[in-house]
Order: sequence, then C-alpha cells, then structure tokens
Amino acid sequence: MKTITHRRIKISLSAIAFACSLSLSGCANTQKTSVDDVVASPSFAMPSYQSVTLDNGLNVKLMVQKEVPLVTIDAVVRAGAVNDVTSGMAYITSQSLMLGAAGQAKADIEQQLDFIGASIDTTADLEGSYIRANMMSKDVDTVLDIFSHVLRQPDFDSTEFDKLKQREIVGLSQQKESPRAVIGRYFNKLVFGEHPYANPVSGNSDTIAKLTVAELRAFHKGYYQPSNMTINVVGDFDVADMTVKLNKAFGDWQATETVIQPDLSQNLPTLTKPRVLLVDKPDAIETTFLIGGLGIRYDNPDYVGLTVVNTILGGRFTSWLNDELRVNAGLTYGARSGFDPYAQSGVFKISTFTKLSTTKEAIDLALKTYARLWEKGIDQATLDSAKAYVKGQFPPKYETSGQLAGLLSDMYLYGFNDDFINQFQAKVDGLTLAETQRLIKQYFPQQNLQFVLIGNADKIAEVAAQYGEVTKVDITATGFGQ
Amino acid sequence: MTIGLLSAPTVSATQAEDINSFTLDNGMKIMVLEDSSIPNANMYIFWKVGSRNEVPGITGISHFFEHMMFNGSKKFGPKMFDRTMEAAGGANNAYTTEDMTVYTDWFPANGLKTIFDLEADRIANLDINPVMVESERGVVQSERTTGLENSNWRTIQEALKSVAFAAHPYSWSVIGYESDIAAWTLEDLQQYHKTYYAPNNALVVITGDVKLAEVKALANQYFAPIPAQAPPKAVRTIEPEQKGERRVFVKKESVSTPNIMLAYHVPATSHADYYALDLLASMLSEGNSSRFYQALVDKQLAVAAETYMPMSFDPNLFYVLGVANAGVSAETLEQALIEQINLIATQGVTQQELEKVKNIKLMDFYRTMETINGKANTLGTYELYFGDYTKLFNAPEAYNQVTPADIQRVAQTYLIKANRTVGVLAATEESDK
Repeated sequence: MKTITHRRIKISLSAIAFACSLSLSGCANTQKTSVDDVVASPSFAMPSYQSVTLDNGLNVKLMVQKEVPLVTIDAVVRAGAVNDVTSGMAYITSQSLMLGAAGQAKADIEQQLDFIGASIDTTADLEGSYIRANMMSKDVDTVLDIFSHVLRQPDFDSTEFDKLKQREIVGLSQQKESPRAVIGRYFNKLVFGEHPYANPVSGNSDTIAKLTVAELRAFHKGYYQPSNMTINVVGDFDVADMTVKLNKAFGDWQATETVIQPDLSQNLPTLTKPRVLLVDKPDAIETTFLIGGLGIRYDNPDYVGLTVVNTILGGRFTSWLNDELRVNAGLTYGARSGFDPYAQSGVFKISTFTKLSTTKEAIDLALKTYARLWEKGIDQATLDSAKAYVKGQFPPKYETSGQLAGLLSDMYLYGFNDDFINQFQAKVDGLTLAETQRLIKQYFPQQNLQFVLIGNADKIAEVAAQYGEVTKVDITATGFGQ
Repeated sequence: MTIGLLSAPTVSATQAEDINSFTLDNGMKIMVLEDSSIPNANMYIFWKVGSRNEVPGITGISHFFEHMMFNGSKKFGPKMFDRTMEAAGGANNAYTTEDMTVYTDWFPANGLKTIFDLEADRIANLDINPVMVESERGVVQSERTTGLENSNWRTIQEALKSVAFAAHPYSWSVIGYESDIAAWTLEDLQQYHKTYYAPNNALVVITGDVKLAEVKALANQYFAPIPAQAPPKAVRTIEPEQKGERRVFVKKESVSTPNIMLAYHVPATSHADYYALDLLASMLSEGNSSRFYQALVDKQLAVAAETYMPMSFDPNLFYVLGVANAGVSAETLEQALIEQINLIATQGVTQQELEKVKNIKLMDFYRTMETINGKANTLGTYELYFGDYTKLFNAPEAYNQVTPADIQRVAQTYLIKANRTVGVLAATEESDK
C-alpha cells in the first residue's frame, strides 16, 4: 500500500521481480520470559487432497477448500533459468505463453479473462516455470479452456514477441533503479560463477534482444510436456467433476520427446577466497548489501532445524541481526538472514542496508553479530522461543488456495511430500541445543564470505576493499556482474 | 484443531451476521469473527490517528510513534514486547497511513491472553525511553531513505503531495520530513500518546480460532480498566478548491525513463461517489484489457500505468502513475495518460466494460475474505472509513448499483485539468529555452 509505512518490511533481496511490474508499495540474547497459560501448540496438518492420474498418465493433485467460491489452477513445468541456453529463455518463454494461443489473439484472451475477473499469470524461476489461473468457481470451464491452450498451444506471435522483448529490456533498466530488486542476481552470479545456478532468471538486455521465436518454440517443445510437469487444483470445486474437465483438457496430450535436464550436482563452485562485488550506483543515498555463501539443498534433512537456527540469527524481529543493527544501533530499518534452497545447492545470505556514511559500521556489526553463532552459540531460552515462533507462524503460510497450490507445486519440483507439513512440528520440537551447534558448524558459511555492495562506489570503495578481492561494475552495465 | 483430515470442508464464506461486536464502558469497540480454518488468530487495533493529525514541526510523528509503541512499557520493558510475543509463537507489525495507525498481532490461538496482556500494558502504561527514542530516529531515517532509494513512487509522491495540498495535512508524506524526524522531543511523544492512544479512539478486531466468550472475558479483564480520555480535537482544515493545474519536477539521476504522476482531488471515502471513482480507476488500469494497458503499454508508450485511490477520512487524491518506455518523452507520456482519462469524460464507458470491473471487484472481495488477516484488516477498515463494517458485505451490491452514466459524471466532475497536479520524475530537467 503506497502511503503506508510499516514498522518493518518483509523484503526479499533475492526476489525475482516480474520484469516490467511496477510496485507501487510503499511494510537475541533473550531472557526466559514467563508466558502463562500456554498449552501445547495446536496441531496443523496437511489438508487432504486427491492424487489423480489423467488418461495420458499426467498426475494431478486436487485439494478442495471451500472458504470462498474461488479456484486456483497451477501448472508447474520442470524448466527454469538453469535450462537457459540463452539467458532469460525460460522466463521469456513463460511470458510469451500469454501472447496468443490456439489462434486466439492476446487481446481477446485478456478481454475474456478480465471480463469474468479471472487471471492467468505466468513466470519462471531458477528451476521451474509456472502458469497460474485464478477464477470464480462458476468460470472454471471458460478459464480451463484458455489455460490448456496457453500451456499446450501458444502461438508465439512474432509481432507481440518483439513488443514484449522491448518492454522487458526497458523493464530491466527500471529494476536497476532499485538496488533491492536486483542485488540477489548479482549475488548468485558471484557465488555460482559459471554454474547454471548463476543464471539470472530475467536474462539481460543483450540476451533478451537476441532471443528468437524459433528458440521459444524449441524451448516450449522440449520442456512443456506432460512428462515434465504437474497440475494442481485448489479451491471450491467437485473432485469428480474437475477430473472430467482436466481429462478433457489434457487427457490426449502426449509427450513427444525425451526431456534432457542438466546435472546440477556437477561443477558446483568451491569458494576459496573472500570476494566483494561493488556495484556502482552514483546517485545512491544508501548502501544495500548482501553477505553470504553457499547454502543447502531443498531435500536436506536439517532444513527444519536450520529454519529454527536462522530464526534466531536473522529470521524474526528479535533476531540477533535485527536487534543489533536496527534496535541497538539504529543503523538500518531492517537486517535479516536466510537460506534459499535449490534442488542441488543453495545460498545463505545476510541482507541489510544503511546510509552511505555508516557502510563500514553496518558491515562490521553484521559480521560481528554473525560470529556469535560460533563464539557464543545459542542458549536454551532463545531456542525455546524460536521453536515456539516458527511453529506459531507456520499455519498462516498455508491458508489460501494460492499458498496451498504453491506448496503442491514445490512438492513436485523439489521432491518432498506431506511429511514436510505433517512432520514439521515434531522436527522443531526435537531440535536440541547440541544439534544447533552441529548445524552451525556444518552449514553456516564461516570462511571466504562473498559480499555484494550496491552504492556510491567513489564513497565506499575503500570500505569494500577491507573485506576481500574487489570487482567493480557499473549498475547500468549489461547483466549482473558477468 | 486439525484441518482437512477430519471432515470434508463445507462452504463457509463469512457473512455479516458472523461478526460479533461489543463496546466496553471506556468506549473501546471490539469486533470478533470466529474462524477455525487454521489454529491461529490475530488482533488488529486501529487507532484514529495518522499524518492528518500532525502539524509542521512534527510531521511523521504518528509513524514514529507507531515505532515507539514497541519500545517499552511498565510491565514489559524495552524489547520485551517483541520477545514475549515471539516466545509465545506470535509475530507482529504495524502500519501508519494518512488517517490511522494499525497494530497487527498474529499468533497461535492459544496465545490470546498473552496478546491482551501485552497490548493493554502499552496502551495504559507506555514508558517512552529516551535512549530508545534516539536509536529509533536512526531506524526511521533509514526507513525513509530506503524508500526513496528503491521506490520512484515514494520519491515523486512526496513532492507531488506538497504541491497538490496547499493547506491540508495530507500535504506531507506519512513518514514526514527528515528534519522533523531528527527534532521532535520526548514531550511531543508523551503528549501524542496521551491525546490519541485512548480506548475511546480505538477499534479492535479479532479473527481466528477464538471464542467470543473468551474474547469478552479477556477484554473486560485487560482493556476495560483503561480510562477513556477527552476525544482528540478534530482536524479543521479543509483544502481550498484548486483552480488551475499545478506542476512539480523531481530530478533523480538513476531514473532510466521518465515517470509521470497525475493527482486529482476527490472526495472522502464516505462520499457517495467513492464506488464510481473506484470502478473508474479499475477501468483505467486493472488487467491487460484496461484502457491504459491497451492504449499505452500495448502501444509501447509506457511499460507500466497504474492508478491508486486510497481510502481516506478527508477529501484526498486519485493518483495515476505512468512509466515511459524507452525513447518516450515525459510530455508524450503525460499527454497519452491525460487523453485516456479525458476519453471517459467525453465519450463515457460501455455497460460491458463496467460489468468487467465489477467482476474484478467481486474477485478481489473473495480474495480478501480468504484469510483471517484479510478479514480482520478489511473489517476494521470498512468500519472506520464507511462508519459501518456491514458495508463490506454490501460492497459487491454497492458496486453493482453504479451505472455508465455515473462513471462519466465522476470523470467530468473530478478528473479535470483545473483539479490536477502533474509530477514528473526524470534524470534530467529540460533547460530553459
């Protein structure tokens, strides 16, 4: 909301913004607290759903949620920026699905969807491409028809494609006006180098300009196949009825070629020295920075435990990082940390921002606070608090049809099952102090930290040089540090 | 309770009659919606104080005060509000607008009593710590700076409001001026708490896995003893009628293509024209079939074009923001935006176009009602801006009543040149000719 300022903002410095989207938004060393009358946490379980195999072998999941008369249909394709031959390919393909389909023009599709208040949104990230339809229950037939055309028979109209590319290129320049919107892309490039996990989902202005309709068609044909995707439906519908509709839309769809996926476990980087990427934005009035390194895979058995430990370091308001940099020092509006897991690797990042003159002070305090993990470790009261916090804040993450559909999509993409939800609480409860020490030693990067600083390079170059080998790039230069 | 596994869900869309409300003797109104879809609950406390209640010298103090409400009270000293809440599984935030300050607590339902205890103590016994005030100044300066660094909207809106409003306190941004953030005193803050943080100036909304009887008992135990205060003075200033276009230019070197913001004076949310203006905003900017998308984005003049009309106690602004495509001048984009707005005034809209945005509004309504937080926030918002939360449930019908003639009339009445302020944000300002 635009005129609103929040006490704290939820920002993801690694979020891939929809190119061309315009956001008008404006959002511890704990002593034991006595909380009376707290009983055991109420249990939260995976809502029931049906797994249905369509006539062509495509497995779909159907989850009924009747709170409001809405339906969300998600298709997730196992193809993302890691599959890019030309940078930005997966993302631009996802955007191009909506440029007309099965002979129906882009404007006609948009008019038809808008008229019933429905929407189909497409995007991609590192490892997936996503097509999401939202509609009122009464409009499922109309929307599903368009949805299947968009997914199976995109026209990739060349005139519309040229216009899209041009807008996306301009959109990239605009994203670089906001350090927060792009800093994650610089960080991944710095950490992963030549590995596909370094690929910026958005592509860059040069590579997008080069993309052709022929490449789009090849990418679509190669990856958008029933053997390489799944569909999840969540909302207010009848399961038998929806199964019939899905069979009608997709039951005759056959895979035509073998999908080839890169082996992402190969050639992962080894970080051998601390490095600093200094991104120059001459009119910057603050320095935005990330510090971190390699993280964990999605299927890591310690994922839940690390969530709890990171909650203490930088995952909530009273976390060490936020308490030191914001509450005690007044250096920033917010400081946080987190693991971003991928299928075969991941990153860990500390993120914050501060005014130019306190760049060094903020970086040093972030590092000093981070070092507490090894120097002091966690005490029982803090661990108990963090456990209560992550359990208490868990259910609202899976409340809406959209959230639940997203969960089912991630289950497909990253290979986890209902236990992720159903075992969450038990795993949190089972985490011991001794375990936290093991997790800290094993997973949090301590040596050879990687830094990205976006700010006024003339003013902060000397500061940057204190943390590692510096590479300087101009924020307006093509790409994200390559 | 466990969801989903015990029984098939039944249709449970919230109705107006599901809302229970009661008022304590001290004037504090409390609304309760029982909803056991997840084992969580929330408490939203709306205070009728925002930047409209400020004066020059203390601009931004409503928002700063919002921060101070977390920094220590009699029972829970500095940092203990957050530590206690998080240890009980709860999280919180707050937001400040031109009209109100809203505190949001989200917690496992069994933490309800703790939340009441925490909230009651900071309402009744806030203890403003001078050391915390100083560190919080740095926090809010950083919040201000990071907004300007990362958001063109923030940058241009701050300048535009100061030109669009000559008299009314909507003239400054909610976060306030840098010099005021640095300068207000402990006495200013203490006075603010005493004036505005009285139970009779608040609305409490609780939704989630709670029982009305339990909420009533806790409200009586924790909130009822807090004494009422004399109501705050009304905001008296009425913005004089604008009688000609105003303009403002802001230079920001890293802006890659010009941004244009237009703002037209419109009535308060409680005015009958609110629904027609809101639908008009959607026609201009919502979805790829919208007029702005079709005429500007699809024609490669703009990469984005949006509208925004905040809910508001006093007459406020109807905003339009466009971001130019490469090679498109500020002037060309400005004219293209204005042309689309003027087309509605001169040629009107079709019934079909109106049906479309009504459906979009209905969809938005359902989305809002999908979460306990959406329900709490929206119920409180409607109660305060429309004077009655039941208007939320009547909203689809109120939108339905709007006719194409209404849309054309509000465009002709409000979206006119003499009532417009134009803001331009660009990397370079044109030199004098």
